[in-house]
Amino acid sequence: MPDADPPAVEPLARRAFPARIGVLGAAVGAGGLLTRSLLNPADAATNQLLPPAVDLIRPVLAELARDTLNGLTVFAMPGPDAYSRTQGTPSPTPGAMESGATDFMINALDHFVPFPDAIAQPVGAALVTGLADSGLADTGLALPGLSVLPVELRTLDRALAAYLQSDETLPLSFPIAGLLNLMATQVNPLAVNGPHLSPFARLTYAEKAAAFELIERTDSDLVALLDVHFPEPLKASVSGLLKFVGGALLEFATFGAYSEYGVFDKETKALRMRPVSWSLTGYQPDGPVEGWDDFIGYYQGRKEVHD
Amino acid sequence: MRDVIVIGAGGGGPVVAKELAAKGLDVLLLEAGPRHAKPRDEWTTFEDDANNPLTGYFRPGPSDRSKPAWFREWPQNSFVWQLSGVGGTTQHFYGNYPRAYPGVFQGYDGADRNEYDVNHRFPFTYAEMVPYFEWVEATMPVMTAAMGHKEQTFFRGAETLGLPVQTTKTTLGPSYRPQENAILQPGGTAGKTSDKNLLNYPQATGCTFCGYCFQGCMRPNGAPRNQFAKRSTDNSYVPMALTANVWARGGRPIELITDAYVTRVHAERRHGVLTATGVTWRDNNSGAEHREDARVVVMSGGCTENPRLWFNSGLPNPNGWVGRGYTDHFFDWLIGSFDDSTGNPKGVGSSARLDFPPYGGLENVGLPPALSAFAGTLSDSGIRGQYGNGRGKTGPWDGPAGRVMGPELKELMAGGIDKLMTVLVITDDDVEPDNRVTLSALPADENGPIPKVTFKHRQRTARTVRNREFMARKAAELLRGAGAKKVYRIDWAPLILHVQSSMRMGASEQNSVVNPRGETRAVKRLFVADNSALSNALGGPNPTLTSQALATRTAEKIFATYFGGDPWVRSESPVVSTDPRVSVRLGQLGL
Ligand SMILES: Cc1cc2nc3c(=O)[nH]c(=O)nc-3n(C[C@H](O)[C@H](O)[C@H](O)COP(=O)(O)OP(=O)(O)OC[C@H]3O[C@@H](n4cnc5c(N)ncnc54)[C@H](O)[C@@H]3O)c2cc1C
Repeated sequence: MPDADPPAVEPLARRAFPARIGVLGAAVGAGGLLTRSLLNPADAATNQLLPPAVDLIRPVLAELARDTLNGLTVFAMPGPDAYSRTQGTPSPTPGAMESGATDFMINALDHFVPFPDAIAQPVGAALVTGLADSGLADTGLALPGLSVLPVELRTLDRALAAYLQSDETLPLSFPIAGLLNLMATQVNPLAVNGPHLSPFARLTYAEKAAAFELIERTDSDLVALLDVHFPEPLKASVSGLLKFVGGALLEFATFGAYSEYGVFDKETKALRMRPVSWSLTGYQPDGPVEGWDDFIGYYQGRKEVHD
Repeated sequence: MRDVIVIGAGGGGPVVAKELAAKGLDVLLLEAGPRHAKPRDEWTTFEDDANNPLTGYFRPGPSDRSKPAWFREWPQNSFVWQLSGVGGTTQHFYGNYPRAYPGVFQGYDGADRNEYDVNHRFPFTYAEMVPYFEWVEATMPVMTAAMGHKEQTFFRGAETLGLPVQTTKTTLGPSYRPQENAILQPGGTAGKTSDKNLLNYPQATGCTFCGYCFQGCMRPNGAPRNQFAKRSTDNSYVPMALTANVWARGGRPIELITDAYVTRVHAERRHGVLTATGVTWRDNNSGAEHREDARVVVMSGGCTENPRLWFNSGLPNPNGWVGRGYTDHFFDWLIGSFDDSTGNPKGVGSSARLDFPPYGGLENVGLPPALSAFAGTLSDSGIRGQYGNGRGKTGPWDGPAGRVMGPELKELMAGGIDKLMTVLVITDDDVEPDNRVTLSALPADENGPIPKVTFKHRQRTARTVRNREFMARKAAELLRGAGAKKVYRIDWAPLILHVQSSMRMGASEQNSVVNPRGETRAVKRLFVADNSALSNALGGPNPTLTSQALATRTAEKIFATYFGGDPWVRSESPVVSTDPRVSVRLGQLGL
């Protein structure tokens, strides 16, 4: 297949970031997770029962990340679920959702990828807010199908800022989801709205591939797009790391979807059920073995060789 | 004060430790990772549990699996597959033990002599290496691989290529053959039954065809550790080193300390010459630091970790070659789908190969589903049918090269894992100074600044690229000859696990770190004995046999140079690592 010219990456106006990566939609869009009144400052001032801003935003980001990674894992292994349908490649047999691949990704990213905070934090901040200094609300946003009041934006803005400035380590699934959603809206700007919580999950299979094409060909493009100021010695590492991340997301999501992760009992070191991929591929029909009766002799009868 | 401290219990370190223990030296072997002394309790046969590089029991990281793995920087789409723990990366290797091609050694005068990496040959002859090959082959022991159905499928394809069958240890020209493997041939019921109850040692001996090489070898069930089928060093050299007193006259067992991360090699000027004096290591669990002195220090941490340790120790690097010249066989991967069963993935991971000096080689590889799926999606050519990432070559495979992803992968896998056969393309790649290990600018971990492994995979030499394309075509032809209905070429992004030559031994002071005796040029009494000391990519053969033969030679040089002893490889007979004296002693030690 000839390699078509990929779409160009345009630097984004900072203010468009949060919409594009889906935070706004996930928070206050149709089907959003936050009751709009929570973001109403009048309410917040008077209602002692309301949680602090950080507690408001944390679950929004977590759900957004999960939804985005659902979009990724079905890209690796589609099944009969809604995400695979949206992607346009539903499949009658169980896929990534049934095999627990999204949990696999979240567990790996948030607890085990020893990715340096020095990079994750600024990328995360850029992707999750994109508003650090400018202040979202003042700039006025035109978001298709999403009417957001300036007061709501200001509250969201403050909540995000508070969260990012807190001492909590940012779970790596957030910036990863942010990266995928940012690319999703580059590929299809209309993905800010629609089914599911995240722009990436709203893409077709071909659009998801186009998003990865953008990540994989990153040199300065994506780094420029991110517009994050990394400390000097790190700057040179970012573009290479993003390339690595692009490949690793595809490979790792696939590995997880086809592995026993979802049905493995850590305590007993045994399987609770037959893994999705084993049923799909016919791997070890009767479970783990000590050996197979597959020894058929020596090639040409030769059991040893010498010079 | 020890006689010798060896850093790293992977493919290379235990060889030096065992050889010098047999000579009665006081050897301390320090390993950064876990011991895995009770594999039946610690291991399973599952891919995520075993092979997840972040959380699996086979990963680069401390014993405590609730702690993150050690992060290494790879500034490109690639994957460096190294393990910590006793056995190192041999814990999940396939035990393929071909010899390096003669063409990569000094003095080679075959008709194709100018076709190899001529600027980076071994600084001695193939003939000089042969006794060391033989010594390791007898110790492991290395055996002609037994055949299963997936090998039969591979041979069916190889037979269509018009090549002879190799029936010697030395590869004399293009040919195919069963692997010479460091895997015990099946005996008794092994390979003849799938009934668990009939597969206990000693009713079954050697390889039971379980198909779990990648998850660690602990079969046959009930066998002593040194009689498990696959001869990873945790099953071969380490047991011998720990029991040297019972099988070698005057032998002295080594001391092995695990979860011991060496953070520094110490050196001082003695009579004007910079000389290694000992090491400092850090206990992964307590964080406590320990220091010990030794007459000789041996670096065996592997191709990625040795340069890191060198830099973090502040040792000099006068010609700039520490970490440079890293070779990886610039692998590629072809998948054939068949109408009938290929026997995949039962049996030894790989038991059939094709050698094609001076281009490289091919081997069949059996993998369970998750690793198969992973291998189908590691590509530098985008996603088939979607984008080519600037590559996506076409050729005797079907469609463009690239990832088999999503719906296409699912369809392929749903056809049955036993209907697939995969072929690894092994390239004879050149030593290039820009493929290298440096220190990363990313934050240090608890053991100091971390290594960064850079491969300019899109700028490999013309010879390297030519070799890879040549072997990829051969792989496609072989798969078609075997009856594949469809052939996919993945165009792997660098999967760096045949690692070689990042601290290379060479004749020239200009482009080598280690002199022809295995000692570093910059620091006396400091030796390198593992894959990093290899001079080049060997022409393509899997590296461990050659690395261990070289380590054996280096052990002799250490003994002769600093302990006044005589070399032994030409005058003594090796003891095989399955020796029952080793088994009995392991039992007494509770191992
Ligand atoms: C999937 C797979 C299949 C393979 N199959 C084959 C095959 O069939 N045939 C073949 O020849 N090769 C094979 N290989 C390659 C083989 O594993 C290597 O050639 C071999 O393990 C290299 O030995 P080494 O000693 O150089 O490094 P390693 O085996 O990686 O050992 C290095 C050891 O040193 C330890 N270490 C590192 N730094 C420190 C430190 N600072 N302090 C203390 N300890 C340290 C590490 O934890 C590790 O245990 C395979 C590799 C992989 C990944």
